[in-house]
Amino acid sequence: MLIAEPLQKAIDELSKLPSVGRKTAQRLALHILKSDSENVDALINALGELKSKIRFCSVCFNISVEEKCEICRSQKRDHSVICVVEEVSDVIAIENTNEFNGLYHVLGGVLNPLANVSADSLKIKELVDRIDQHGIKEVILALNPDAEGDTTSLYITRILKEHAVKISRIARGLPIGGDLEFADAATIGRAFIGRISL
Amino acid sequence: MVLKQIELQNFRLHKNTSLDFSDKLNLIVGGNGQGKTSILEAIYYLCTTKNLNMSAEEDAVTFGESNFSIGGLFNELTENKARLYYDSIKNKKYFFLDEKQINRSTEVIGKFPIVSLIQSDHAITQGAPSERRRFVDSVASQASRTYLELLLDYSKTLRQRSSLLSQIKETRNNVLFEQLDAWTESLITSGTEIINRRIKFVQEFNVYVKEAYSSVVELIEKPHIEYQTLAEIDGENTAEKFREELNAFRDDELRRGINLVGPHRDDFIFYINGMELKRFGSQGQHKTFQIALRFAQFFFIKEKLGKTPIFLMDDVFGELDTYRAGKISEYLLQIGQAFITMTDLTNKDGLNITSDNTLIKVENGKTTFAN
Ligand SMILES: [Zn+2]
Repeated sequence: MLIAEPLQKAIDELSKLPSVGRKTAQRLALHILKSDSENVDALINALGELKSKIRFCSVCFNISVEEKCEICRSQKRDHSVICVVEEVSDVIAIENTNEFNGLYHVLGGVLNPLANVSADSLKIKELVDRIDQHGIKEVILALNPDAEGDTTSLYITRILKEHAVKISRIARGLPIGGDLEFADAATIGRAFIGRISL
Repeated sequence: MVLKQIELQNFRLHKNTSLDFSDKLNLIVGGNGQGKTSILEAIYYLCTTKNLNMSAEEDAVTFGESNFSIGGLFNELTENKARLYYDSIKNKKYFFLDEKQINRSTEVIGKFPIVSLIQSDHAITQGAPSERRRFVDSVASQASRTYLELLLDYSKTLRQRSSLLSQIKETRNNVLFEQLDAWTESLITSGTEIINRRIKFVQEFNVYVKEAYSSVVELIEKPHIEYQTLAEIDGENTAEKFREELNAFRDDELRRGINLVGPHRDDFIFYINGMELKRFGSQGQHKTFQIALRFAQFFFIKEKLGKTPIFLMDDVFGELDTYRAGKISEYLLQIGQAFITMTDLTNKDGLNITSDNTLIKVENGKTTFAN
Protein backbone atom coordinates (compact mmCIF):
# COMPACT_ATOMS: atom_id res chain seq x y z
CA MET A 1 0.00 0.00 0.00
CA LEU A 2 1.18 3.51 -0.83
CA ILE A 3 1.05 6.03 2.00
CA ALA A 4 0.93 9.78 1.31
CA GLU A 5 4.48 11.06 1.52
CA PRO A 6 4.04 13.59 4.36
CA LEU A 7 2.44 10.91 6.51
CA GLN A 8 5.18 8.44 5.66
CA LYS A 9 7.82 11.02 6.60
CA ALA A 10 6.16 11.68 9.96
CA ILE A 11 5.99 7.95 10.65
CA ASP A 12 9.65 7.51 9.77
CA GLU A 13 10.73 10.35 12.06
CA LEU A 14 8.55 9.21 14.97
CA SER A 15 9.77 5.64 14.77
CA LYS A 16 13.33 6.86 15.34
CA LEU A 17 12.35 7.71 18.93
CA PRO A 18 13.28 5.24 21.68
CA SER A 19 10.67 2.56 22.46
CA VAL A 20 8.49 3.65 19.54
CA GLY A 21 7.94 0.87 17.01
CA ARG A 22 6.43 1.12 13.52
CA LYS A 23 2.90 0.53 14.76
CA THR A 24 3.08 3.11 17.54
CA ALA A 25 4.66 5.63 15.16
CA GLN A 26 1.79 5.13 12.74
CA ARG A 27 -0.79 5.55 15.49
CA LEU A 28 0.90 8.74 16.74
CA ALA A 29 1.15 10.19 13.23
CA LEU A 30 -2.52 9.52 12.50
CA HIS A 31 -3.47 10.99 15.87
CA ILE A 32 -1.52 14.18 15.12
CA LEU A 33 -3.14 14.33 11.69
CA LYS A 34 -6.61 14.27 13.27
CA SER A 35 -5.77 16.83 15.99
CA ASP A 36 -6.68 20.57 15.86
CA SER A 37 -4.09 22.82 14.25
CA GLU A 38 -3.72 24.61 17.60
CA ASN A 39 -2.58 21.46 19.34
CA VAL A 40 -0.25 20.56 16.55
CA ASP A 41 1.31 24.03 16.61
CA ALA A 42 1.77 23.78 20.35
CA LEU A 43 3.56 20.47 19.92
CA ILE A 44 5.79 21.84 17.16
CA ASN A 45 6.63 24.86 19.32
CA ALA A 46 7.40 22.77 22.36
CA LEU A 47 9.74 20.56 20.38
CA GLY A 48 11.41 23.54 18.73
CA GLU A 49 11.97 25.31 22.04
CA LEU A 50 13.25 22.12 23.60
CA LYS A 51 16.15 22.23 21.23
CA SER A 52 16.67 26.00 20.91
CA LYS A 53 16.14 27.13 24.50
CA ILE A 54 17.67 24.31 26.48
CA ARG A 55 21.36 24.00 27.07
CA PHE A 56 23.61 22.40 29.65
CA CYS A 57 24.19 24.04 33.01
CA SER A 58 27.73 25.43 33.12
CA VAL A 59 28.20 24.15 36.68
CA CYS A 60 26.58 20.72 36.91
CA PHE A 61 25.82 19.84 33.23
CA ASN A 62 22.16 19.25 33.94
CA ILE A 63 19.78 20.62 31.30
CA SER A 64 18.96 24.29 31.81
CA VAL A 65 17.32 27.34 30.24
CA GLU A 66 19.70 29.80 31.87
CA GLU A 67 23.47 29.51 32.05
CA LYS A 68 23.02 27.92 35.48
CA CYS A 69 20.22 25.42 36.08
CA GLU A 70 17.39 25.95 38.56
CA ILE A 71 18.85 23.50 41.03
CA CYS A 72 22.23 25.21 41.05
CA ARG A 73 20.51 28.61 41.48
CA SER A 74 18.15 27.55 44.26
CA GLN A 75 18.89 28.94 47.73
CA LYS A 76 16.80 26.18 49.30
CA ARG A 77 19.23 23.46 48.25
CA ASP A 78 22.23 22.38 50.26
CA HIS A 79 25.20 23.70 48.30
CA SER A 80 27.74 21.64 50.20
CA VAL A 81 26.56 18.25 48.89
CA ILE A 82 26.94 16.97 45.32
CA CYS A 83 25.31 13.86 43.91
CA VAL A 84 27.25 12.46 40.95
CA VAL A 85 25.17 10.77 38.23
CA GLU A 86 25.73 9.41 34.73
CA GLU A 87 23.02 11.15 32.74
CA VAL A 88 20.41 13.89 32.93
CA SER A 89 17.70 11.23 33.17
CA ASP A 90 19.19 10.15 36.52
CA VAL A 91 18.75 13.69 37.86
CA ILE A 92 15.06 13.50 36.95
CA ALA A 93 14.71 10.05 38.56
CA ILE A 94 16.31 11.23 41.82
CA GLU A 95 14.38 14.52 41.87
CA ASN A 96 11.18 12.47 41.69
CA THR A 97 12.01 10.78 45.00
CA ASN A 98 12.19 14.10 46.94
CA GLU A 99 14.84 12.47 49.12
CA PHE A 100 17.76 14.57 48.03
CA ASN A 101 18.23 18.27 48.64
CA GLY A 102 21.78 18.91 47.44
CA LEU A 103 23.24 19.66 44.02
CA TYR A 104 24.10 17.35 41.11
CA HIS A 105 26.98 16.67 38.80
CA VAL A 106 26.25 14.95 35.50
CA LEU A 107 29.28 13.01 34.21
CA GLY A 108 27.87 12.35 30.76
CA GLY A 109 28.64 8.62 30.92
CA VAL A 110 30.93 6.18 32.72
CA LEU A 111 34.36 4.69 32.07
CA ASN A 112 34.06 2.26 29.16
CA PRO A 113 37.32 1.32 27.39
CA LEU A 114 35.44 -0.90 24.91
CA ALA A 115 33.47 2.13 23.72
CA ASN A 116 36.57 4.32 23.94
CA VAL A 117 35.26 6.36 26.86
CA SER A 118 38.10 7.27 29.21
CA ALA A 119 38.22 9.66 32.16
CA ASP A 120 39.02 12.72 30.07
CA SER A 121 35.87 12.35 27.99
CA LEU A 122 33.77 12.59 31.17
CA LYS A 123 33.17 15.66 33.36
CA ILE A 124 35.49 14.37 36.08
CA LYS A 125 38.02 17.19 36.00
CA GLU A 126 35.12 19.66 36.28
CA LEU A 127 33.90 17.75 39.35
CA VAL A 128 37.29 18.01 41.05
CA ASP A 129 37.51 21.75 40.30
CA ARG A 130 34.03 22.28 41.68
CA ILE A 131 34.90 20.50 44.90
CA ASP A 132 38.07 22.53 45.37
CA GLN A 133 36.53 25.89 44.52
CA HIS A 134 33.11 25.75 46.16
CA GLY A 135 33.72 24.26 49.57
CA ILE A 136 31.90 21.01 48.87
CA LYS A 137 31.75 18.86 51.99
CA GLU A 138 30.15 15.68 50.69
CA VAL A 139 30.01 13.77 47.41
CA ILE A 140 27.43 11.03 46.85
CA LEU A 141 28.15 8.67 43.98
CA ALA A 142 24.90 7.46 42.40
CA LEU A 143 26.10 5.61 39.32
CA ASN A 144 24.40 2.49 38.03
CA PRO A 145 25.49 -0.63 39.93
CA ASP A 146 27.12 -2.43 37.00
CA ALA A 147 30.76 -3.11 36.08
CA GLU A 148 31.24 0.29 34.41
CA GLY A 149 29.37 2.30 37.04
CA ASP A 150 31.16 0.61 39.94
CA THR A 151 34.58 1.07 38.36
CA THR A 152 33.87 4.74 37.69
CA SER A 153 32.88 5.15 41.36
CA LEU A 154 36.14 3.51 42.41
CA TYR A 155 38.09 5.75 40.08
CA ILE A 156 36.47 8.95 41.35
CA THR A 157 36.99 7.81 44.94
CA ARG A 158 40.70 7.37 44.27
CA ILE A 159 40.99 10.73 42.52
CA LEU A 160 39.26 12.51 45.40
CA LYS A 161 41.25 10.82 48.14
CA GLU A 162 43.51 13.81 48.71
CA HIS A 163 40.70 16.33 48.62
CA ALA A 164 39.00 17.18 51.88
CA VAL A 165 35.61 15.77 51.05
CA LYS A 166 33.41 13.01 52.44
CA ILE A 167 32.54 10.42 49.81
CA SER A 168 29.65 7.97 49.95
CA ARG A 169 27.87 5.72 47.54
CA ILE A 170 24.17 4.96 47.36
CA ALA A 171 23.63 1.45 48.66
CA ARG A 172 22.97 -1.41 46.28
CA GLY A 173 19.28 -1.29 47.03
CA LEU A 174 18.70 -1.12 43.31
CA PRO A 175 17.94 -4.28 41.37
CA ILE A 176 21.15 -5.73 39.95
CA GLY A 177 21.41 -4.98 36.27
CA GLY A 178 18.58 -2.47 36.54
CA ASP A 179 19.22 1.06 35.42
CA LEU A 180 18.70 3.95 37.79
CA GLU A 181 16.40 5.51 35.23
CA PHE A 182 14.03 2.55 35.30
CA ALA A 183 13.99 1.80 39.02
CA ASP A 184 10.90 3.09 40.77
CA ALA A 185 11.09 6.16 42.98
CA ALA A 186 10.68 4.22 46.22
CA THR A 187 13.67 2.00 45.45
CA ILE A 188 15.92 4.94 44.62
CA GLY A 189 14.66 6.71 47.73
CA ARG A 190 15.58 3.75 49.95
CA ALA A 191 18.98 3.54 48.30
CA PHE A 192 19.60 7.17 49.23
CA ILE A 193 18.75 6.67 52.86
CA GLY A 194 21.01 3.62 53.10
CA ARG A 195 24.06 5.10 51.42
CA ILE A 196 27.42 3.81 52.51
CA SER A 197 30.48 5.83 53.32
CA LEU A 198 33.67 5.09 51.40
CA MET B 1 7.96 -29.32 37.57
CA VAL B 2 6.50 -31.02 34.53
CA LEU B 3 6.30 -30.21 30.84
CA LYS B 4 2.80 -31.28 29.81
CA GLN B 5 2.95 -30.69 26.10
CA ILE B 6 5.02 -29.18 23.35
CA GLU B 7 4.34 -27.80 19.88
CA LEU B 8 7.03 -27.48 17.25
CA GLN B 9 6.79 -25.56 14.01
CA ASN B 10 9.50 -25.55 11.34
CA PHE B 11 11.94 -26.92 13.89
CA ARG B 12 14.49 -29.05 12.02
CA LEU B 13 12.54 -32.02 10.58
CA HIS B 14 9.44 -31.11 12.59
CA LYS B 15 7.18 -29.11 10.27
CA ASN B 16 4.32 -29.40 12.69
CA THR B 17 4.66 -31.67 15.72
CA SER B 18 2.50 -31.62 18.78
CA LEU B 19 3.13 -33.96 21.72
CA ASP B 20 1.59 -34.69 25.11
CA PHE B 21 4.06 -36.01 27.66
CA SER B 22 3.95 -38.32 30.64
CA ASP B 23 5.08 -36.78 33.94
CA LYS B 24 7.34 -39.82 34.39
CA LEU B 25 9.47 -41.40 31.72
CA ASN B 26 9.17 -40.39 28.06
CA LEU B 27 11.02 -42.69 25.70
CA ILE B 28 11.69 -41.26 22.28
CA VAL B 29 12.77 -43.94 19.84
CA GLY B 30 13.99 -43.56 16.28
CA GLY B 31 16.92 -44.11 13.92
CA ASN B 32 19.69 -41.58 13.43
CA GLY B 33 18.65 -38.35 11.76
CA GLN B 34 14.92 -39.00 12.17
CA GLY B 35 14.32 -36.06 14.53
CA LYS B 36 14.36 -37.60 18.00
CA THR B 37 17.17 -35.47 19.42
CA SER B 38 15.47 -32.32 18.10
CA ILE B 39 12.63 -32.99 20.53
CA LEU B 40 15.14 -32.80 23.41
CA GLU B 41 16.70 -29.77 21.79
CA ALA B 42 13.30 -28.06 21.68
CA ILE B 43 12.62 -28.86 25.35
CA TYR B 44 16.01 -27.43 26.27
CA TYR B 45 15.30 -24.26 24.27
CA LEU B 46 12.04 -23.77 26.10
CA CYS B 47 13.71 -24.10 29.51
CA THR B 48 16.81 -22.03 28.86
CA THR B 49 16.33 -20.07 25.57
CA LYS B 50 19.67 -21.63 24.60
CA ASN B 51 20.68 -24.44 22.28
CA LEU B 52 21.49 -27.81 23.82
CA ASN B 53 24.56 -28.36 21.65
CA MET B 54 25.53 -24.74 21.25
CA SER B 55 24.77 -24.85 17.54
CA ALA B 56 23.45 -21.81 15.71
CA GLU B 57 19.74 -21.03 15.76
CA GLU B 58 19.49 -20.65 12.01
CA ASP B 59 20.59 -24.26 11.56
CA ALA B 60 17.53 -25.37 13.49
CA VAL B 61 15.08 -23.79 11.03
CA THR B 62 13.44 -26.29 8.65
CA PHE B 63 15.02 -26.03 5.21
CA GLY B 64 13.21 -23.44 3.08
CA GLU B 65 11.56 -21.67 6.05
CA SER B 66 12.54 -18.41 7.76
CA ASN B 67 11.48 -19.00 11.35
CA PHE B 68 10.78 -21.66 13.94
CA SER B 69 8.52 -21.70 16.93
CA ILE B 70 8.48 -23.87 20.06
CA GLY B 71 5.56 -23.66 22.44
CA GLY B 72 5.09 -25.56 25.70
CA LEU B 73 2.93 -25.87 28.74
CA PHE B 74 4.64 -26.25 32.12
CA ASN B 75 2.84 -27.36 35.20
CA GLU B 76 4.00 -26.81 38.73
CA LEU B 77 1.73 -25.15 41.23
CA THR B 78 0.42 -23.03 38.41
CA GLU B 79 0.42 -23.49 34.65
CA ASN B 80 2.95 -21.54 32.64
CA LYS B 81 2.86 -21.14 28.90
CA ALA B 82 6.27 -20.62 27.34
CA ARG B 83 7.04 -19.88 23.72
CA LEU B 84 10.26 -19.32 21.83
CA TYR B 85 10.16 -17.82 18.38
CA TYR B 86 13.16 -17.41 16.13
CA ASP B 87 13.26 -15.21 13.06
CA SER B 88 16.18 -16.16 10.81
CA ILE B 89 15.95 -13.03 8.65
CA LYS B 90 16.53 -10.74 11.64
CA ASN B 91 18.51 -13.52 13.38
CA LYS B 92 16.56 -12.76 16.52
CA LYS B 93 15.02 -14.90 19.28
CA TYR B 94 11.88 -13.87 21.11
CA PHE B 95 10.80 -15.50 24.34
CA PHE B 96 7.31 -15.24 25.78
CA LEU B 97 6.15 -16.35 29.19
CA ASP B 98 2.36 -16.42 29.50
CA GLU B 99 2.16 -14.22 26.40
CA LYS B 100 4.48 -11.62 27.96
CA GLN B 101 7.76 -10.98 26.21
CA ILE B 102 10.90 -11.55 28.32
CA ASN B 103 13.87 -9.43 27.30
CA ARG B 104 16.75 -10.84 29.30
CA SER B 105 17.52 -14.56 29.08
CA THR B 106 18.87 -14.38 32.65
CA GLU B 107 15.26 -13.96 33.79
CA VAL B 108 14.44 -17.40 32.41
CA ILE B 109 17.46 -19.32 33.72
CA GLY B 110 16.49 -21.26 36.84
CA LYS B 111 12.76 -20.76 36.26
CA PHE B 112 12.38 -24.09 34.46
CA PRO B 113 15.37 -26.08 35.75
CA ILE B 114 16.67 -28.73 33.37
CA VAL B 115 19.53 -31.22 33.45
CA SER B 116 20.84 -32.92 30.33
CA LEU B 117 23.08 -35.92 29.89
CA ILE B 118 24.30 -35.85 26.30
CA GLN B 119 27.08 -37.24 24.12
CA SER B 120 29.15 -34.06 24.20
CA ASP B 121 29.42 -34.39 28.00
CA HIS B 122 32.61 -36.36 27.37
CA ALA B 123 34.28 -32.95 27.02
CA ILE B 124 33.59 -32.19 30.69
CA THR B 125 35.96 -34.90 31.90
CA GLN B 126 38.22 -35.12 28.86
CA GLY B 127 38.32 -31.61 27.39
CA ALA B 128 39.90 -28.27 28.21
CA PRO B 129 39.49 -26.42 31.55
CA SER B 130 36.94 -24.11 29.91
CA GLU B 131 34.56 -27.08 29.56
CA ARG B 132 34.71 -27.77 33.30
CA ARG B 133 34.27 -24.08 34.14
CA ARG B 134 31.24 -24.04 31.86
CA PHE B 135 29.79 -27.06 33.65
CA VAL B 136 30.35 -25.64 37.13
CA ASP B 137 29.09 -22.20 36.13
CA SER B 138 25.94 -23.60 34.55
CA VAL B 139 25.09 -25.66 37.66
CA ALA B 140 25.88 -22.84 40.08
CA SER B 141 24.01 -20.29 37.94
CA GLN B 142 20.90 -22.45 37.80
CA ALA B 143 20.98 -22.62 41.59
CA SER B 144 21.72 -18.93 42.15
CA ARG B 145 20.78 -15.84 40.15
CA THR B 146 23.37 -13.87 42.11
CA TYR B 147 26.13 -16.17 40.90
CA LEU B 148 24.97 -15.70 37.32
CA GLU B 149 24.91 -11.91 37.70
CA LEU B 150 28.40 -12.05 39.25
CA LEU B 151 29.71 -14.03 36.28
CA LEU B 152 28.24 -11.55 33.83
CA ASP B 153 29.69 -8.69 35.84
CA TYR B 154 33.11 -10.32 36.00
CA SER B 155 33.26 -11.14 32.30
CA LYS B 156 32.25 -7.58 31.43
CA THR B 157 35.01 -6.27 33.69
CA LEU B 158 37.47 -8.66 32.01
CA ARG B 159 36.54 -7.37 28.56
CA GLN B 160 36.77 -3.73 29.64
CA ARG B 161 40.07 -4.32 31.38
CA SER B 162 41.65 -6.16 28.46
CA SER B 163 40.54 -3.37 26.14
CA LEU B 164 42.23 -0.84 28.42
CA LEU B 165 45.36 -3.01 28.72
CA SER B 166 45.73 -3.11 24.96
CA GLN B 167 45.12 0.66 24.72
CA ILE B 168 47.94 1.18 27.22
CA LYS B 169 50.13 -1.20 25.27
CA GLU B 170 49.54 0.76 22.06
CA THR B 171 49.60 4.33 23.34
CA ARG B 172 51.90 3.98 26.35
CA ASN B 173 49.73 6.64 27.92
CA ASN B 174 50.56 6.84 31.64
CA VAL B 175 47.37 8.75 32.37
CA LEU B 176 45.48 5.51 31.80
CA PHE B 177 47.26 3.72 34.65
CA GLU B 178 45.01 5.26 37.25
CA GLN B 179 41.97 4.01 35.33
CA LEU B 180 43.57 0.57 35.05
CA ASP B 181 43.88 0.52 38.85
CA ALA B 182 40.14 1.15 39.13
CA TRP B 183 39.36 -1.72 36.73
CA THR B 184 41.78 -3.94 38.67
CA GLU B 185 39.88 -3.14 41.88
CA SER B 186 36.59 -4.08 40.19
CA LEU B 187 38.13 -7.29 38.91
CA ILE B 188 39.27 -8.18 42.42
CA THR B 189 35.84 -7.43 43.88
CA SER B 190 33.77 -9.64 41.57
CA GLY B 191 36.57 -12.21 41.02
CA THR B 192 36.99 -12.75 44.77
CA GLU B 193 33.28 -13.33 45.19
CA ILE B 194 33.31 -15.87 42.34
CA ILE B 195 36.30 -17.75 43.78
CA ASN B 196 34.75 -17.89 47.26
CA ARG B 197 31.47 -19.13 45.84
CA ARG B 198 33.27 -21.77 43.76
CA ILE B 199 35.12 -23.00 46.86
CA LYS B 200 31.83 -23.40 48.67
CA PHE B 201 30.14 -24.92 45.63
CA VAL B 202 32.79 -27.64 45.18
CA GLN B 203 32.57 -28.53 48.87
CA GLU B 204 28.82 -29.00 48.67
CA PHE B 205 28.73 -30.57 45.21
CA ASN B 206 31.29 -33.24 46.15
CA VAL B 207 28.74 -34.81 48.50
CA TYR B 208 26.22 -35.11 45.67
CA VAL B 209 28.80 -36.54 43.27
CA LYS B 210 29.84 -39.25 45.75
CA GLU B 211 26.22 -40.22 46.30
CA ALA B 212 25.41 -40.35 42.59
CA TYR B 213 28.59 -42.19 41.68
CA SER B 214 28.04 -44.94 44.22
CA SER B 215 24.53 -45.45 42.89
CA VAL B 216 25.76 -46.18 39.38
CA VAL B 217 28.77 -48.48 39.87
CA GLU B 218 29.20 -51.68 41.81
CA LEU B 219 32.89 -51.13 42.59
CA ILE B 220 33.95 -49.21 45.62
CA GLU B 221 35.28 -46.12 43.92
CA LYS B 222 35.45 -42.72 45.53
CA PRO B 223 35.10 -39.75 43.21
CA HIS B 224 36.29 -36.30 44.20
CA ILE B 225 36.46 -32.84 42.64
CA GLU B 226 39.28 -30.49 43.49
CA TYR B 227 39.06 -26.79 42.77
CA GLN B 228 42.19 -25.34 41.23
CA THR B 229 42.42 -21.56 41.45
CA LEU B 230 45.02 -19.00 42.51
CA ALA B 231 47.70 -20.47 44.77
CA GLU B 232 47.34 -20.72 48.55
CA ILE B 233 43.75 -19.57 48.82
CA ASP B 234 41.74 -20.67 51.84
CA GLY B 235 38.53 -18.73 51.35
CA GLU B 236 39.49 -16.04 53.88
CA ASN B 237 42.42 -14.42 52.12
CA THR B 238 41.14 -14.48 48.54
CA ALA B 239 41.14 -10.73 47.81
CA GLU B 240 44.60 -10.34 49.29
CA LYS B 241 46.11 -13.23 47.29
CA PHE B 242 44.32 -12.09 44.15
CA ARG B 243 45.90 -8.64 44.52
CA GLU B 244 49.37 -10.11 45.14
CA GLU B 245 49.10 -12.28 42.04
CA LEU B 246 47.92 -9.34 39.92
CA ASN B 247 50.88 -7.31 41.14
CA ALA B 248 53.25 -10.13 40.26
CA PHE B 249 51.85 -10.33 36.73
CA ARG B 250 51.38 -6.60 36.19
CA ASP B 251 54.33 -6.16 33.82
CA ASP B 252 53.39 -9.27 31.85
CA GLU B 253 49.81 -8.06 31.52
CA LEU B 254 50.92 -4.64 30.30
CA ARG B 255 53.42 -6.11 27.86
CA ARG B 256 50.94 -8.57 26.37
CA GLY B 257 47.84 -6.42 26.74
CA ILE B 258 45.68 -9.22 28.19
CA ASN B 259 44.22 -10.43 31.51
CA LEU B 260 46.46 -13.10 33.00
CA VAL B 261 45.11 -13.57 36.52
CA GLY B 262 41.71 -14.53 37.84
CA PRO B 263 38.96 -17.15 38.06
CA HIS B 264 38.55 -17.13 34.27
CA ARG B 265 41.62 -19.37 34.33
CA ASP B 266 40.40 -21.79 37.01
CA ASP B 267 40.14 -25.56 36.58
CA PHE B 268 38.38 -28.37 38.39
CA ILE B 269 40.29 -31.62 38.69
CA PHE B 270 38.40 -34.91 38.90
CA TYR B 271 39.76 -37.85 40.90
CA ILE B 272 38.78 -41.47 41.46
CA ASN B 273 40.33 -43.04 44.55
CA GLY B 274 42.87 -40.23 44.58
CA MET B 275 43.98 -40.86 40.98
CA GLU B 276 43.48 -38.10 38.45
CA LEU B 277 40.70 -39.17 36.09
CA LYS B 278 42.00 -37.27 33.08
CA ARG B 279 45.38 -39.00 33.24
CA PHE B 280 44.56 -42.45 34.56
CA GLY B 281 40.85 -43.06 34.04
CA SER B 282 39.44 -45.78 31.76
CA GLN B 283 36.71 -45.02 29.21
CA GLY B 284 34.19 -46.64 31.53
CA GLN B 285 35.27 -44.47 34.46
CA HIS B 286 34.98 -41.33 32.33
CA LYS B 287 31.46 -42.28 31.29
CA THR B 288 30.44 -43.08 34.87
CA PHE B 289 31.88 -39.79 36.08
CA GLN B 290 29.94 -37.86 33.43
CA ILE B 291 26.73 -39.62 34.43
CA ALA B 292 27.43 -39.01 38.14
CA LEU B 293 28.02 -35.30 37.47
CA ARG B 294 24.62 -34.95 35.80
CA PHE B 295 22.74 -36.89 38.47
CA ALA B 296 24.56 -34.84 41.12
CA GLN B 297 23.50 -31.68 39.27
CA PHE B 298 19.91 -32.92 39.27
CA PHE B 299 19.70 -33.49 43.03
CA PHE B 300 21.74 -30.37 43.82
CA ILE B 301 19.39 -28.13 41.81
CA LYS B 302 16.35 -29.89 43.23
CA GLU B 303 17.57 -29.26 46.77
CA LYS B 304 18.62 -25.65 46.15
CA LEU B 305 15.58 -24.51 44.19
CA GLY B 306 12.99 -26.76 45.75
CA LYS B 307 11.86 -27.53 42.21
CA THR B 308 12.30 -30.84 40.42
CA PRO B 309 14.26 -30.35 37.20
CA ILE B 310 13.37 -32.00 33.92
CA PHE B 311 15.93 -34.65 32.98
CA LEU B 312 17.14 -35.18 29.40
CA MET B 313 19.25 -38.10 28.26
CA ASP B 314 20.33 -38.26 24.64
CA ASP B 315 21.47 -41.56 23.19
CA VAL B 316 23.45 -42.54 26.26
CA PHE B 317 21.57 -45.71 27.06
CA GLY B 318 22.69 -47.74 24.09
CA GLU B 319 26.34 -47.63 25.06
CA LEU B 320 25.96 -48.79 28.66
CA ASP B 321 26.54 -52.32 29.92
CA THR B 322 23.54 -54.09 31.45
CA TYR B 323 24.61 -53.44 35.04
CA ARG B 324 24.90 -49.68 34.69
CA ALA B 325 21.82 -49.50 32.44
CA GLY B 326 19.85 -51.26 35.18
CA LYS B 327 21.28 -49.02 37.91
CA ILE B 328 20.47 -45.89 35.94
CA SER B 329 16.91 -47.07 35.36
CA GLU B 330 16.50 -47.50 39.09
CA TYR B 331 17.83 -44.01 39.54
CA LEU B 332 15.46 -42.64 36.94
CA LEU B 333 12.54 -43.83 39.08
CA GLN B 334 13.54 -41.32 41.75
CA ILE B 335 13.60 -38.54 39.22
CA GLY B 336 10.42 -36.78 38.20
CA GLN B 337 9.96 -36.26 34.51
CA ALA B 338 12.59 -37.61 32.13
CA PHE B 339 13.04 -37.63 28.35
CA ILE B 340 15.24 -40.34 26.93
CA THR B 341 16.16 -40.93 23.32
CA MET B 342 17.18 -44.38 22.05
CA THR B 343 17.95 -45.68 18.58
CA ASP B 344 16.25 -49.01 19.34
CA LEU B 345 14.70 -50.77 22.28
CA THR B 346 17.58 -53.17 23.10
CA ASN B 347 18.05 -51.85 26.61
CA LYS B 348 14.37 -51.27 27.13
CA ASP B 349 13.85 -54.23 29.47
CA GLY B 350 16.15 -52.68 32.04
CA LEU B 351 14.05 -49.54 32.00
CA ASN B 352 11.10 -50.56 34.20
CA ILE B 353 8.55 -49.34 31.70
CA THR B 354 5.13 -48.98 33.27
CA SER B 355 1.81 -47.62 32.10
CA ASP B 356 2.79 -44.19 33.47
CA ASN B 357 5.35 -43.87 30.73
CA THR B 358 5.02 -42.64 27.20
CA LEU B 359 6.73 -44.23 24.24
CA ILE B 360 7.09 -41.98 21.23
CA LYS B 361 8.36 -43.23 17.87
CA VAL B 362 9.97 -40.71 15.55
CA GLU B 363 10.44 -41.22 11.84
CA ASN B 364 11.45 -38.46 9.45
CA GLY B 365 10.04 -35.75 11.70
CA LYS B 366 6.71 -37.57 12.16
CA THR B 367 5.82 -38.79 15.62
CA THR B 368 3.53 -41.57 16.75
CA PHE B 369 2.60 -42.74 20.23
CA ALA B 370 3.37 -46.41 20.56
CA ASN B 371 1.67 -47.40 23.82
ZN1 LIG C 1 23.32 23.04 37.48
